[in-house]
Amino acid sequence: MELVLSNHSSYPRIGDDAAGQLLRRTIAQREKGEKTDADLRAAEDQMTERALAEQVEAGLDLVTDGLIRWYDPVSHLAGKLSGIKINGLLRFFDTNFYFRQPIVHGKMKREKPLMVEEFLFAKAKSSKPVKTVLTGPYTLARLSIGQNEETGKFDNLLAGYTQALAEEVAALAGAGSSFIQVDEPALLKHPEDFGLFETSIQALAARKGSARLGLAFYFGDIARLYPKVQGLPVDVLCLDFTYSPNLAEIVETEGSSKTLAFGLLDGRNTRLEDPTALARQLERMLGRLKPDVAYLTSSSGLEYLPRDRAQLKLRHLTTVKKTLLGRAA
Amino acid sequence: MNREKLQQLGINLPVLPTTSVGSFPKPDYLMKARSDFAKGKITRQALEETERKATEFWIRKQEELDVDVLVDGEMYRGDMVAYFSEHIKGFEQGGLVRSYGNRYYHKPIIASEVHWDHPITVNWWKYAQSLTKRPVKGMLTGPYTVMDWSFNEAYPDRKAACFALAQEIRKEVQALVDAGAKIIQIDEPATSVRPEELPLAIESMRLVTTGLPAYFITHICYGAFEFIYPEMLNFPVDNFDLEMSNSGLDMLELFKKDPYTKDISFGVVDVHTHQIEEGLVVQQRLREALRVLPKDCIWVDPDCGLKTRTVDEAIAKMEAVVQVAKAMRN
Repeated sequence: MELVLSNHSSYPRIGDDAAGQLLRRTIAQREKGEKTDADLRAAEDQMTERALAEQVEAGLDLVTDGLIRWYDPVSHLAGKLSGIKINGLLRFFDTNFYFRQPIVHGKMKREKPLMVEEFLFAKAKSSKPVKTVLTGPYTLARLSIGQNEETGKFDNLLAGYTQALAEEVAALAGAGSSFIQVDEPALLKHPEDFGLFETSIQALAARKGSARLGLAFYFGDIARLYPKVQGLPVDVLCLDFTYSPNLAEIVETEGSSKTLAFGLLDGRNTRLEDPTALARQLERMLGRLKPDVAYLTSSSGLEYLPRDRAQLKLRHLTTVKKTLLGRAA
Repeated sequence: MNREKLQQLGINLPVLPTTSVGSFPKPDYLMKARSDFAKGKITRQALEETERKATEFWIRKQEELDVDVLVDGEMYRGDMVAYFSEHIKGFEQGGLVRSYGNRYYHKPIIASEVHWDHPITVNWWKYAQSLTKRPVKGMLTGPYTVMDWSFNEAYPDRKAACFALAQEIRKEVQALVDAGAKIIQIDEPATSVRPEELPLAIESMRLVTTGLPAYFITHICYGAFEFIYPEMLNFPVDNFDLEMSNSGLDMLELFKKDPYTKDISFGVVDVHTHQIEEGLVVQQRLREALRVLPKDCIWVDPDCGLKTRTVDEAIAKMEAVVQVAKAMRN
């Protein structure tokens, strides 16, 4: 069994040192007209490179660009689609992080790539394979509203985002992205919508080409949906174990026909978990998997942590893996 | 209204008493002093003198406006959780995390067992109360919110951290009571974020308030109240201070289905807009409240703390609150 160490998705775009303030400072200066768009882009590039380097230094096998350029997980994608305007702030699930809500006022259309350029930049700058992250159509639809009754119908919102993101998945796969992760935390709040959700994911999976398609669930308990998500047409299921007291036991009992990404390290808390306990838990679950590869990651993106603690979490992935290998030896 | 309790505490309030949620904007001279202190240009003592000056300004202003139950305005606080974490032992200041866009804050870390070893707000309350004969609310943040807005490295889980904080925060409440505070507001804005944890928030509030002789208020905002009402009525407090206007008074629909059973500090002005609502708009909001709630259970105030408004806007919004409450008393 190969255990791949992976960053989940986001990474802090600020640090407490002076260099870590570059993007914050540049955005503030851009707002005052003291810096140009090119300056801002250069700052984003620099912080993205730093995020990539820190992931590699931590010993990861699969990295992300840290989503450094994202204003938030919703408006960064929705704001690039026509037919949508971006509105006021709302809380992002149960975090203390706020996103800007999209208002759909017309026909939703993807007129340009959303993430391809960002993927190509990260790929060019990284010595390790890069995973591309997209917030999924179901979550985008749940966190959007329509300007009128027609555009606001949930089915219409979901259909619009599904089509746009299916096109994006195809474009990313065509650009060489070998691993595309679709984040769908909202499903855990609405398990009754599983049928709608499945149809949406099928549309994305149909366009993935040779890329591996991952589906990430977090900020909720996936346990009761575990059998159902096993049937989805994706290659990897990335699961948050911190909200699910019984999930490890369920995986041990039921196994998995899908490749799993184990979100065992809490991406929302600074505490470093006991590596021996995690290795023991992981060992029991790995034995029940059919695929010969699995991923170890945090429960969610790491942007919820200060940079120094996010670095420690990443390094801790390496510690847990070493502990696991030590037990096996 | 729980008038019997208020009267036992020696407090007589008019019908539709007016108050505010807690924070007022910091005057420019205080913002400059805070900036100078952060840069090491002035001493802590100099900063505190400026904070006292600003506190006095807001006490005088509330008296001028004829507000019934006053607040100190929180001139000494930056953030409602970080301030307490700086004073309770066991916390460390964490690095920067993003709240939205290009905004970041230092999120506290519960690094070891928490321990209250000195009063935190009591001297500020005493000072504010010394400036007026009207009652001044004691103000602090509740254990559930402090827990939820901090990292936890010291306790095995959220529940353990929350209960430990509750036991320590109770000591601050006790100290406020000992100092003479009769009305104490314990803010729990995080309450509605995880509806499944409502019992934890209620139980921890019970640890804080049970048996202490004060009229307790809790402020909850940003709420998905549809998931926690009517169960939230089990909070061991006398009064919920709620953000009503910003959400189009939609909580009144919930109150129609399940009767509201406590006193309420009913937000009649929106704190998220620079616009000063016209008197008729504010009056209409209060009329809507009176259609659903008994007059005697209603206090009148803004939706939330006014610290994000300008000084002039905050004063104008408080003026609207007081004028409408007075007009509707008869």
